[in-house]
Formats: sequence, structure tokens, C-alpha cells
Amino acid sequence: MSSNLHQAGVKLLKQLGRHADVIMDAYLAGSINDTAHDSGVIEKLKKSGILWRPEPDQELRLKRSVRALLEEALSDERNRQIDSNVGSSLATIKTLADHYKEARHNIDHSAAEAYLADLNEHVYSFTDSLRYSIRVLWGRINNEFGYVGTISAKIRENELAQSQVSDLLNGLEMFQFSELGEIAGDIRELRRLLMTSLQETLSQCTQELSIVQGRLYELLGRFRQIQGRTRLLKGWLLHTDMHPDYQVDNHVGHKAIPNLFNCAEALLAPASVDVSNPHHELELMSLVAQVKAISRDALPHIAREQNVTFEMGDSEDFDIPENPLKIAVDEYFCEVIDSGLRQSALSYLTEKQLTWDAESWLYQVIGGYEGLADEHKNYFELEPIGKPDPVYNGNFIIHDVELWLA
Amino acid sequence: MSDSNETTLVGTSALIEQLLRGEFICRVTNEDGWRALKNNSTRERIETYLNQINRTLASAGEGEVFFCGYLQLGDAERKVVSSQFKDICSALIPLVEWLVLVQEASGQDAPLSEGAPIRLTDLQARIEDTPAFREQLTKLSQYRLFGSSSSNVDGQIKLVFKRLVELGYLTKPNSEKQIYIATGKLDYLYEVIRFIDETEGLSLEAQAETATQRELI
Repeated sequence: MSSNLHQAGVKLLKQLGRHADVIMDAYLAGSINDTAHDSGVIEKLKKSGILWRPEPDQELRLKRSVRALLEEALSDERNRQIDSNVGSSLATIKTLADHYKEARHNIDHSAAEAYLADLNEHVYSFTDSLRYSIRVLWGRINNEFGYVGTISAKIRENELAQSQVSDLLNGLEMFQFSELGEIAGDIRELRRLLMTSLQETLSQCTQELSIVQGRLYELLGRFRQIQGRTRLLKGWLLHTDMHPDYQVDNHVGHKAIPNLFNCAEALLAPASVDVSNPHHELELMSLVAQVKAISRDALPHIAREQNVTFEMGDSEDFDIPENPLKIAVDEYFCEVIDSGLRQSALSYLTEKQLTWDAESWLYQVIGGYEGLADEHKNYFELEPIGKPDPVYNGNFIIHDVELWLA
Repeated sequence: MSDSNETTLVGTSALIEQLLRGEFICRVTNEDGWRALKNNSTRERIETYLNQINRTLASAGEGEVFFCGYLQLGDAERKVVSSQFKDICSALIPLVEWLVLVQEASGQDAPLSEGAPIRLTDLQARIEDTPAFREQLTKLSQYRLFGSSSSNVDGQIKLVFKRLVELGYLTKPNSEKQIYIATGKLDYLYEVIRFIDETEGLSLEAQAETATQRELI
């Protein structure tokens, strides 16, 4: 029998493994369409109780037990199923304990052993499911019911969790340890199982559940505060919209002003420097040393109160007085053009009895020539007359220049 | 020993200065100062000092925000309190409109409260994309509290945020980044609205709830 069971279990698990894709599709989507997958596979899964059809025209869904296995193994936060039915577990445990006691009494060892194993299984799975429920609750608290979007939904989720916690706590209260003690009697195995192990787990779980409950209340308070604030703001806007001439009462006109509005005026002005305080001398010195930098930073900031209008207008005429030396040089150029002859600048200077200093004159002539536009410059040739410097080679000293038409 | 004493003294003096400047102290604006005020002995020392100049340490937002109030209310103090009350009342509508706009534009469940960050560029993009939000922003930016005459979202929102930082409702921890953080003064604001609601029996929450239910129907 047991080897048959073993084989059947292995077969089932292998089937789960082989069709993992289909099962995960069903898990994630909630249901699967039988036409989307191989009909043979679907049939097999249906036969072994992994998939089922809740209504004739509905799509196939995962069996609850498979789903629960996946939810637990994957710590899926969408799982909010909590088995708070402590009463039926308690009844099962009591019944099994009675079976065991009867078998022992009848000295039917094999039956007693089987019942004890069964009882063990039930007690452990009960404590495990209790611990699992608490874990699920913590998971939901820790992400603050992040799997739902709005505050009102979070409040509803919180209320659901609260009711589950109270159910669990009420259920746990049903465990009267004196009663369990009576059932266990003086049988060592039962006492170990029911009194020691179960009691310890239950008291731990009760403690933890009350912490969970506290945290849930705290969260609920916060959610309500947030919701209250949102409503307060909306209500304020509605109220002021509906009563445009609404004025806040003068709440500070009473004899006793509410603490909330007792707000003192800003009082403090910066203190002044005491230059005769020797303790501050060093710092003041260093501040003075920085004064230059500060004065640059504190350049009056030109702030425009408003945009200054800017108008485009004709620019006003202005004169630059002509340089007489330049005019004289221009005349010299004209003279060269008129005569068409090669002429020395210096001899022109003496000939016209001009008053300019010879050196300035030469500079201006050279400058005048270089300053001509290229097209005009091509009409003239300018040759400096001079000799190399007797001491410093590479230098050429100009005594005079000659200008002629090219 | 003397070192640690000195640090406390310096710390308290800065704290007292901040209080006397009329600033609200919360965890966001001055975490060290806030912690110091949470400490009984420091708070008593500050209170003793403030009492000498007819000031007292007041708190709001379930003791999370501290500010400076008057110890005794004479005529002069009443005048100040009265004018401040007028200021805050005239600021209520623009501030509430702004809070609702931020909450709706960022699609959040919770309205802004202390410590909540706002990314200005994100918010601006959302407002720019939705004509209704743009309209709301234009309307609220023109209140005297903000006094914007700008016609584009960029100008309006920048001015509104600048004013809110000046008023102490927001801080900008990093001047290079366009991230603002709501301060405890906002929690003070909620308390003011709740106070008005309760004292005048406006039942604002109930009004909002019936309106929402009507919308659902």
C-alpha cells in the first residue's frame, strides 16, 4: 500500500515537473484556455486533480492545493489566504489523541503507532500553518499593503488582516491547556506533544500575533491620517468653492489664544562687532584681510525693477578732427602723383618748409603708404634709404624714403 | 568634558537663534536641532532662556514641529498674533490648492507631508501635459501669496516653489538639484485647517466624502 502511494506521489510530482510551464501559466494568469495547450497534457493534468473547471463554460484553473503550494514556496505577496479555522484543527487533534489512547489501552501497538504518527503530523502541520499565517501577515505589513493602489484599498486590506488576526487569536484562546493536559493524561508521548511542544508554539504565536495586531492598528492609524488629510484638503476647497464669501472666524480674538496660533514675531537682528574684544582680534583681523575679496563680491547688484525699454534710433553724428600731419602726408602723395617723379620724403619736407620733425614725418609717410588699401598701394613704390647698423647686425637704419609711381 | 559642554552650548545658541528668527524646526529642516528639542533637558534649558524674554517653546504636529510663541500675551503680542493669523488665513486657499495640485499631478494617494520629496522637473512635465493642471497652476500662481504674472508653466511653477521655500514649507537641500522636500511646517498647516474645521464645525471631511461618493455614483 505504502509503496503504491509512494509511486503514485512520485508520478504526480513528475507530472508537475513535466508540465511546469502550463502550471505556471495558469498560476500567473489565474486560468488557462484549454485550446492554447496540448489537449493530451490538459487531460492528464485534469485527471490527476491539478487543473479543474469550476463551471462548465469556464476556463481551467489550478486546484487550490497546488496554488497554495506555489504561493507559499514563492512567498507571493498576493496571497492573503489565512487558515484561521483553529477550532477544527483542535477537534481533529483531540479525536486522534482519543484514538491513540484507546489503541494503547487495547494494547494494539501497530494501531497506536499509526495514530501517534498521524497526531504528530496534525500537530506539526497545525503549528506550521499558524507560523505561516503570521509570516504572511508580516509580509503584508512590511510592504504596507503595497499590492493595492489606493489608500482606501489599503484600509480595507488592513481591516481584513485585522479580522484574520482576531479570528486567529480567538481560535487560539480555545486551546485550554488544562483540557489538553487531561487528554494527555500521564502518557509521556502525548504530554510531550500536546503540553510541551504545542503549548510553547502557541504561546509564541499568541505573543507574535498581538505584536502584529499592534502594528496593524498603527498602520491603520497612519492610513486614516493620510486619508483624513486628503479629505480635509478636498473638503476645504469644496467649502470655499461653495461659500465664496466664507471667512475664517477670528480665532485669536478670544481671551485665550489657541497655542497653535501663538507664534512669536521674528526678533533677532545680527549683533555688532566689538573691536575692543581681544578674544575676537584674530578673527577680526582675518576678516579685515578678506575685505578686498568681500568688496568684490558685494559689488552693487544692478537689479532692474522692471524691464527698461530700449529703442533703436539713428546714431548721432560725430567728428574726428583730421590730423594735420596726415593731411600733409596726403598732399605729399598727391604731389608725387602730379609730378610723376621719384621724390625723397625729406627733401619734400625741406622744400615745402614744413614744421614737422623729420623722424615723425618719415614714420607718417611709411605709415601712410602701409595704410593704403591694396589696390591703391599698387600704384606706388616706396623705398627706404639707409644703411645697416654698424654695431648690431640685422638692424637697418632708415635716413629717408623715396616714393614714386609704380 | 569642557569640549562636549561647549558643543552643546553652541548648538543650543544656534537653535535659539533659529527659533527667535521665527523659523519652524522639524526633522527635515534641522535634524540635530530637532533631536535636541526632543531631549527633555535641552528643551528645558531653551525654555528657561526663552521665558526670560517672554517667549516659550511651542510645538505642533504631534510634537514633531517646534516654533517659538509668546509666554504672556499683552496687547502688543496680541496684535502680532492677530496679524499673523490673518496672514495664514489668507494663505490657506492658495496653499491648499497647491497641495491638491501636487497630489493629483503626481498621482499620489497621500498629500504632501513632512519629508516627502518633490522632483520639480517631473511635476512640471506632468502639469505641462495636462491642460486641467495647467489651468489650476495658473490660477493659484496668481494669488497674492505667490503673485506671479507669468503666462507659462515654467515661470509660474518656479516662482511658486521659490515662494514656498521662502515661507518655510519646502526646503531645497541641494541648490544644484531641482528636488524639494516638504517640511514640518506643512504638518502645522494641516493642524491649522483641522483646528478651523473642528472649531467652526465645518465637517470638511464629511463634505469631501459625500462629494466623492456622488462622483462614484
